[in-house]
Amino acid sequence: MSGILDVFRRPDFFELLWQHILLSAAALLIAVAIALPVALAIRNTSLGAALAVNIGNIGRAVPSLAILALCQPFLGFGFDTALVALTALAIPPILINTSTGLREVRRDIIDAARGMGLSGSQVLSRIQLPIAAPVIFAGIRTSAVQVVASATLATFIGGGGLGELIVEGTQLNNTTILLAGSFSVAVLAILTEVGFGALEMAMTPKGLKIAQKRGR
Amino acid sequence: MANPALTLLQDLSSIEDPKLIEWDWISDNFWEDIVPAIQGHIFLSFVSVAIALMISLPTGVLVSRYRKAYPPVTFVTGLLYSIPSLALFGILISVPGITIGPTPVIIALVAYSLLILIRNTVAGLDAVPAETIDAARGMGLTNRQILFRVELPLALPVIVAGIRIATVTIIGIATIGAYIAGGGLGKMIFDGINRSFPTMIITGAVLATALAIIADLSLLGLERYLRPWARRRKT
Amino acid sequence: MIEFRQVSKTYPGSDNPVVRDLSFEVPEGEICVLVGPSGCGKTTTMRMVNRLIEITEGEILIDGEPNTAMSATRLRRKIGYAIQQIGLFPHRTIADNIGTVPHLLGWNKGRIRDRVDELLELVGLSPEEYRDRYPAELSGGQQQRVGVARALAADPPIMLMDEPFGAVDPITRERLQDEFLRIQEDIKKTIVFVTHDIDEAIKMGNKIAILKQGGILAQYDTPETILAYPNSEFVASFVGTDRILKRLSLVRVGDIRLEPANGEAEDLPRIDGNLSVRDALSEIIGSGSTKGVVERDGEKGLLTIDTIEKLSRARDDSRG
Repeated sequence: MSGILDVFRRPDFFELLWQHILLSAAALLIAVAIALPVALAIRNTSLGAALAVNIGNIGRAVPSLAILALCQPFLGFGFDTALVALTALAIPPILINTSTGLREVRRDIIDAARGMGLSGSQVLSRIQLPIAAPVIFAGIRTSAVQVVASATLATFIGGGGLGELIVEGTQLNNTTILLAGSFSVAVLAILTEVGFGALEMAMTPKGLKIAQKRGR
Repeated sequence: MANPALTLLQDLSSIEDPKLIEWDWISDNFWEDIVPAIQGHIFLSFVSVAIALMISLPTGVLVSRYRKAYPPVTFVTGLLYSIPSLALFGILISVPGITIGPTPVIIALVAYSLLILIRNTVAGLDAVPAETIDAARGMGLTNRQILFRVELPLALPVIVAGIRIATVTIIGIATIGAYIAGGGLGKMIFDGINRSFPTMIITGAVLATALAIIADLSLLGLERYLRPWARRRKT
Repeated sequence: MIEFRQVSKTYPGSDNPVVRDLSFEVPEGEICVLVGPSGCGKTTTMRMVNRLIEITEGEILIDGEPNTAMSATRLRRKIGYAIQQIGLFPHRTIADNIGTVPHLLGWNKGRIRDRVDELLELVGLSPEEYRDRYPAELSGGQQQRVGVARALAADPPIMLMDEPFGAVDPITRERLQDEFLRIQEDIKKTIVFVTHDIDEAIKMGNKIAILKQGGILAQYDTPETILAYPNSEFVASFVGTDRILKRLSLVRVGDIRLEPANGEAEDLPRIDGNLSVRDALSEIIGSGSTKGVVERDGEKGLLTIDTIEKLSRARDDSRG
């Protein structure tokens, strides 16, 4: 046990931790910056919705190691390659959830909003987005957890991160280092899940929370 | 005397980077390496899904009856699901008695899929209308008969939806299992990276992806087949 | 005042218009009910007033000006809009919901707050209790009242209502209808009201426009006239074979002229002056007699089946 704590006191531990967080955060932010506008742009076209759902579903089926590995022959080793791969992984859940979330806003609510005189952009910003917010943030949460988990594999294409500790422990047959790496990744992933879960709750409008509780 | 220019050219071509896809290698090694890798991967995934189902189905049925147990079960399986695969592999092979190889991989794959399988089993059973069960009971079916002849068949589409997600997840994570000697297509990916041999990387990655997508679409077809009312719905 | 001038609507790609050459006028301060079978274009017609659906041919004039004279968004902020599923915004409080259009129009907060409270009182919901609640906390009937309050918020001269009481049970619906008619007596809005229920149309409308399949205007008249003098087989069957009785339900016993009841009063059934003639008829027949006695201002009047029969044939706009 004390051996594991020693690993955490290593100077390179924080560097790896920081790399892992940076890689994940950057990939997530870029994915949001790409997926949200795209989902918004295609929201009114049925072709767009079908496309989003299909791309999303296929994207979810692709093994994360496959994407990371496929980037390597074309983009080489390193942080940037890992970033590209992880961003690609992060896009599908956000795309699907934003698209579905907007679409699932009850039609009569949108009709009432338009009929009362809200402009198109007002309907989107004041009605659709707030109501779809829980679903959208659920997608971001799913994406975040996936990215943090997959960032563990970044080590295989030179992206750094906490996965390096796991690889080091395996290669040196050193259980302590192995466990230190595994635990830190596991804790990070769980914290991400909990943290984004709290964010999702915070972004759910109060009226919707009440409606959920009453099953409406 | 040999032409110096030609010699130089020959020297250069022998140190050029390997092409991205060397089809010769693929055809040469198809039956020795590629097919066994595919088979190993399918085997690994299949066994894991089967074991996971054997655990999750009875658990799901029990938990849907005794709801108090549901939150702790969800918590534990959710916790397992949150742990990144490489980390879980690392933890498992640290356990004395578990060596690298397919065993820890299968244990991890089973652990990952429990959350979604149990959750969908419960959801599927919940969705069976109370009136239907009531009618069955009124007709004289025993609880056991109701479970197997009424509830489970009606819950099937939702359960299959869960199996679909679990299978795709398992196929994906099985690739990582190759790192601890689990075999399968992941081995080609790792070897390819270590040897700087793009052909192996691309072959392994593409085949793993294809396997996942085929499984996804087939099970989606099965799901749709089991749910005729959803088939005819306009999107 | 709303005027439809040869309004037609055909969807692109289709040969048949859903609304065909519609021309009629809704007088100011009156409720005009659009009623007809499924597919008659009544909702489409209503939605063309606030341009949620655009006209293919013809025009709609509001107080003499075409409704295309300003942007659709600006137009809609001047028209109250209440629909069947209500469409309350679940993520906003009741107060925010009602205040939506005033907020868009730039009213200051104090004015909006006062208006919200005023409207909640008007629709029978206590402001202190309801203004900070959320839609999910309200029953169907309460939500529907909020829907009406929201439509009235900016005090628009015109209102469009599409089965606004449709989402509740019949008892609540009747209560909401009565209350709305009472409110309308004070506020006198010009209203286009859509329903599929002929009884609701008769109850709510100053004028009724009966539409046929394909958006053709079959008859446009007061309820009494349509019931007494349907202009076609279609209208007669749509209003129902009991249309004579329906007409009798529009008149109160206490409002008609009766012969004084001398002496015959003893064993005849007593009829309350507030009953409709239809219900009075039912009481008279049910008692086995052919007459009844109505007590009014201390005087006793005689109501005979004969009188009722003459009444049913009179061309009378007592509610006009």
